[in-house]
Amino acid sequence: MYRLGIDLGSSYTKGVLVDENNWMAGTFCVKSGYNFNNAASKIIDHFSESHEIESPVFTCGYGREQIQVPFVPNSELIALSRAVYHIYQRACSIIDIGGQDTKFIQVNALGQVDKFKMNRKCAAGTGSFLEEIAFRLDVTPAEFTNFAKDATREVKINSFCTVFAISEIIGMIKNGATLPNIILGIYNSIILRSMEMALVEDHLVITGGLPAMHPTIVGLFKQRYPDSDSPEQAQFLAAFGCVLLNSERKSIDLIPPDPLPL
Amino acid sequence: MTENINQEKNMLVKLQSADDLRRTMDGYFARLKDAAETHSRKIAWCTSVGPAELLYSMGFEVYFPENHGAMLGAGKNADKYIPTAVAHGYSPDICSYLTSDIGAFLQNETPLQKSGFASVPRPDILVYNTNQCREVEDWFSFYSRHFNVPMVGIHTPLCISDLTPEIVKSVSDQYHRIIPELEKVSGKKFDRDRFSETVGLSHDGCVLWKQVLEKARHIPSPINFFDSAIHMGPIVVMRGTIHAVEYYKILLKELEARIDNNISAVPAERFRVYWEGMPLWYRLSNLAKLFARLDTCIVASTYCNSWVFDDLDPADPFESSALAYSKLFIVRSDSVKENILERLLKEFTVHGIIYHESKTCARNSNNRFGLQNRLFKRTNIPYLEINGDLNDPRCYSEEQSIIAIETFVDQLAGR
Repeated sequence: MYRLGIDLGSSYTKGVLVDENNWMAGTFCVKSGYNFNNAASKIIDHFSESHEIESPVFTCGYGREQIQVPFVPNSELIALSRAVYHIYQRACSIIDIGGQDTKFIQVNALGQVDKFKMNRKCAAGTGSFLEEIAFRLDVTPAEFTNFAKDATREVKINSFCTVFAISEIIGMIKNGATLPNIILGIYNSIILRSMEMALVEDHLVITGGLPAMHPTIVGLFKQRYPDSDSPEQAQFLAAFGCVLLNSERKSIDLIPPDPLPL
Repeated sequence: MTENINQEKNMLVKLQSADDLRRTMDGYFARLKDAAETHSRKIAWCTSVGPAELLYSMGFEVYFPENHGAMLGAGKNADKYIPTAVAHGYSPDICSYLTSDIGAFLQNETPLQKSGFASVPRPDILVYNTNQCREVEDWFSFYSRHFNVPMVGIHTPLCISDLTPEIVKSVSDQYHRIIPELEKVSGKKFDRDRFSETVGLSHDGCVLWKQVLEKARHIPSPINFFDSAIHMGPIVVMRGTIHAVEYYKILLKELEARIDNNISAVPAERFRVYWEGMPLWYRLSNLAKLFARLDTCIVASTYCNSWVFDDLDPADPFESSALAYSKLFIVRSDSVKENILERLLKEFTVHGIIYHESKTCARNSNNRFGLQNRLFKRTNIPYLEINGDLNDPRCYSEEQSIIAIETFVDQLAGR
C-alpha cells in the first residue's frame, strides 16, 4: 500500500506517492485549471493504475479541501517545512516560489517553524509573474532558462507591478537590450523580491515550481547565497510533507468529502 | 495541522449584553437625530480620541466621523464610496475611513439613513486632536469648507518617548485655547465644574472598559477581540456620559458571570493571540469564525486598549485630559510601544501576535519600522504579518490570509 500526498496549488496540482519507508515512489503533476477535483482525480487515476493507494489522501494548497475523495488537509508551509527537514535534518531557511506565492520559512534545528512570511498582496515575483512575461515575450520556460545562460550583463527591472514590468521590458527591447540580459534581469528581480522577505539565517533551500522549471535561478541564488541549493523534486516537497506529517500522527481527523458546488 | 471541523463545537457564543449595547447605541443616535432635526442642541464633530469630554460638558451632541467610517466598513460598503473620494482628488493610499466617509457624503448616502437620518448630522463645529494622525485635520477641513463652519484642533506631538510636563502643558493650553470658539458656537459659557463632572464620568467609563478588556486575562477568555471591537462603541462615542458607564457595568457583570460559569468566547480555546493594528471591518465576522474554528482566541489588542483613558481626573480636568490623550499608544515612540506590548503579552498569556499592516493607516501599522523583529527577540513570541486595510477590501487577499493564519496556528501548535 502507498500513501498519496497532493498539493493543490493555484497553478499546478502535484502528487507524490510515498512508500512504507517514507521514500518518494513517484511524482506526477497536472495543471490545476478551474476544477481542483478534476486535477486531483487525474493524479489519483495516474497512480492507481499501478499502485494500491491508501485512503485518505493527504492534501495541502489552495484547493486542499476541494476534492471528492476522503482527505486530510494540511498547512502547505508546515508540510513543506516537514519535507525539507526530513531531507536536510538541520535548521534551514526555505524560499518557496510557487504560482502565486513566494514564501519564506525559517525551520529550526528541531524541525519546528520559527517564522514564516508570505509575499504581500501583489503576485509580482512569483511563477505567475514569470509565466505572464514569458507569454508576452513568446518564450517557453525552457527557452527562458537557457537564454539567461547567455546573458552578458544584467538589465535591472524596477517595476513592482507585472503589467508595468512588461511595459518596462518592451521599452528595454526598443532601446536595444538583448533578450538574455533582460531575462537575467527578470530572474534577479525575483530573487530580490524573495530576499526582502526575511533574513536568511541558515542553509538556504529553494523549493517550488519556479526553481524546478527555471533551474538557472537556483544558480543565481547560489551566487548570492553560497550555502544554498534546491533539492530534487523541489516542486513536490509540500505534497511529500503532507504524507510525512500524517505518518507521525497517532490519529487522523478525516474530513469526509462533500458534494462540491459547481 | 488543520483539524477536522466540528462547527457546533466551534460556534461563537454571543454576548447577551448585545441587546443592551444596541439600546445604548440607539439612544445615542436618537439624541443626535433629535439635535439635528430640532436644532435644540448644537452638534460638534469630534475625532475618536479628541476632546469629547469638553464638548459634552458644553452641551454639544457629539458625532464621530470615524465611527461612521467603521460603520461603512462593517457594512461592506466602503469600496462603493472610496472611488468617489478618489475621483475628487483624495488618494486611495490615505486613510480609508476618510475616503469612504467623504465618498459616501458626496453620494449622499449613509447607513444612518436606516435609522431615519436624512444625512449625517450637520456640524456646528469640527474639533480634532492630531494625537492619532494628521489626516483627521484634512478630513475635517473638507467638511469645514463644505458646511462653512469653524474647525478647531489640538496638535499633539508624535512619537512621544518621554511624556514631559512641557508636552502635557502644551496640550492642556490648547484645550484652554479652543474654549472661546466652543462658547461662541454653543452659546454657553464654559463651566469648569461641569467639565470636571464629565471628565469624571469619562474616567469611570474608561476604567470599566479597561476592566472589561482585562477579563480576557482569564483562561479561557470570556471575551475576544471581535466582541470588543463591537462593544467598544459606547466608550468611543459616549465617553464622558453616564450612558457608557451604565453599559459597561452590564457588560462587566456578564463577563464575570461567564468566568464563574466557565463560558469562554471561543468554546475550545487552545491558543491566545494578540491583535496589533486595525480591525478589518469588512471581514470581522469571517475572521471571528475563522479563529473560533482554529480554537484561537484573540485575547487582547492595541486597538481596543486605545480607549482606556484612566489618567483622567476630575480634580484636574485640563492637565489630566492632556496627559491621558497624549499617553495613548498611537502617539508614543516605538520603544514605549514595545514596552507596552511586552507587558500586555505577559498579562494576557499570549502565544502569538498578529500584525495587521493596514495599507491606508500607517499610524496603526506598527510593523513598518522593525518593531515586530525587536519584540520577537525580546519575548520569543512568534508573530504573523498580514496585509489588508481597515476599510478598503481591495487591499486584502482573503484566501492568502486564511492560509497564513491557519499556518500560524499550526506553527503555535508545533511549539
